[in-house]
Amino acid sequence: MSQSEPPGGVFGLSYDGETRVSEALKLVSTAIIVLVGAWPIYWMTQLAFTQYETVEDSVTVFPTPDIFTFDNFNVLTDPEMYTYMFNTVVVAIGTIVTVVLVSLIAGYGLARLEFPQKENFARILLIGYLFSPIVIGIPLYQIWQSIGLLGTRFGLIIALSAISMPFAVWLMWKYIMTIPEAHEEAAWVDGASRWRGFRDVVVPQCRPAIIAAALFAFALAWNDFTFAQILLPQTDTTTFAPGILRAMGQAQFLPEGYLMAISLAMTLPPLLFAYFMQSYLLKGFQVRAL
Amino acid sequence: MASETGESIRPGRTYIPWDDLPVQRETIAGIGTVLPVVVLYLLIAVLPIVFAFWASLHEIHTLNPEWQWAGLSNYREVLNISTFWDSLWRGIVYMVGSTLLQLAVGLWMALVLNRITRGQKLLTAVVFTAYLIPTIIVSLVAMRVFDPAGGVFQMIGAEWLGLWGGQEAPLGSREWAMQLLILIGTWKFAVFVTIFTLAQLRAIPDRFYEAAKICGANRWQMFRDITLPRLMGIVLVVVLLRSVFMFNKFDIIWQLTEGGPGDATTTLPVLAYKTVYTDQAYGLANAISVVMFLFLLASAIIYFKLFNPSEEVETTT
Repeated sequence: MSQSEPPGGVFGLSYDGETRVSEALKLVSTAIIVLVGAWPIYWMTQLAFTQYETVEDSVTVFPTPDIFTFDNFNVLTDPEMYTYMFNTVVVAIGTIVTVVLVSLIAGYGLARLEFPQKENFARILLIGYLFSPIVIGIPLYQIWQSIGLLGTRFGLIIALSAISMPFAVWLMWKYIMTIPEAHEEAAWVDGASRWRGFRDVVVPQCRPAIIAAALFAFALAWNDFTFAQILLPQTDTTTFAPGILRAMGQAQFLPEGYLMAISLAMTLPPLLFAYFMQSYLLKGFQVRAL
Repeated sequence: MASETGESIRPGRTYIPWDDLPVQRETIAGIGTVLPVVVLYLLIAVLPIVFAFWASLHEIHTLNPEWQWAGLSNYREVLNISTFWDSLWRGIVYMVGSTLLQLAVGLWMALVLNRITRGQKLLTAVVFTAYLIPTIIVSLVAMRVFDPAGGVFQMIGAEWLGLWGGQEAPLGSREWAMQLLILIGTWKFAVFVTIFTLAQLRAIPDRFYEAAKICGANRWQMFRDITLPRLMGIVLVVVLLRSVFMFNKFDIIWQLTEGGPGDATTTLPVLAYKTVYTDQAYGLANAISVVMFLFLLASAIIYFKLFNPSEEVETTT
């Protein structure tokens, strides 16, 4: 910091004065974030516990005892809804496992091994960001149909894995670059093979990146609507997002209370992940450029 | 075991027995590690694009397997229909509006979350949840609160602010649909910016600020000279990614408005989807996809040439 600039801050405030202003700004900002960030989740929760007759015709702010109910959650055991949620869980787990395994190995290869066209490979990987689900989904519909993957959860897992791949590989590669190579060399000197060095030295140190990549893949799979809508046309294998939208289109009456109860059930896993994994997540995302 | 006589292929480094192997071993292993990625890539990205291009040269009814060669007529049709250009324009409005708003909101949230001391973990979790929950849930809640029958935001907008009529559904109004789509999308996707920025902010050592304070810097100078330069790289990346993602966004638009009312929120992905399933014109839809992809590719190349967010890739590989 150059000494030529006069001491004292913006608008001629002293350092302490600036501190007070920034404290005040921070408080106001926090209030807004709490209001805007938490409010929809609160609203969903309170509607989920309110009798749906009440929800249909008036605005409720808090489910007082006379309108409070657990009945909305009965919808979770409805076979149709249960299938949707089960499929979503299967697809999410499948995607996470595929993405983590493939990106970990590829990330290691990019960081530690020399092979021709490595730089070009990295560049082409970046183009992967440009593939939108709709651009890929429309042709994939016919391709999957002709090889029999249309309507299977496996087909969706492959599609989702490929979409989260560029980011996950890049994350893993950058992260492994920050681990000193000497750690592995020490293991090699002790007689470990490259594979053992990878398994026992690199993988344990990659935990933040693995969790970040897993969370990213989870968010993508848990979120996905476009691919599932196009690639899972039958009801029995479809996932939550297109399933619920179709159910809403077909059913004459799907009470709001039910919808909010299901939404709450689908929100809890991400909320728990976000709470317990955030430090890993932030550490894994500490990358400075593409 | 290792002796001093072995010649390391990496001079100046510790000798390891592995170096005795022919060099090709490493090349094979290296290619082997990225092979799964390449296969997935070929299957999910390259093959569909090639297939889309091939299909776009044909006249195809979505439910009819018979393809009729049509040459470039689909492309002529795409570039001549006004819905294409209107959708492209709406897509650009949606992309630019969303990206700018998300960048501003996301950066602001990250700066605040990084500074608060009490309840930081909980608030961060709540904010992150917005990005992790399924888009359909955001849509369901949004449809609920903007519903004329008992929707709280609809009521506030109608009765307190007088933005729309009491019986009017704002998501179904030509005037408000696009603005609301951008706002609702921002609630969810601004968190993407927050996650990346917050990770950067956490990585700045406190001693930088302490040193600056000793040198008599004020808060604005600290922000300008320490915080901002650290964020620039990631901001360029995030702007690129968010623009691409928002341009390609289909799910939230389809769930909230299905491109309506009329064509008011039909962006290119929605137009492509409608062309397949409403107009049953599979070949034409593929032509739209190919044009979309080429448009994004060209924009991305220009962006890379201008800002080079991949600088680090080139220096570290």
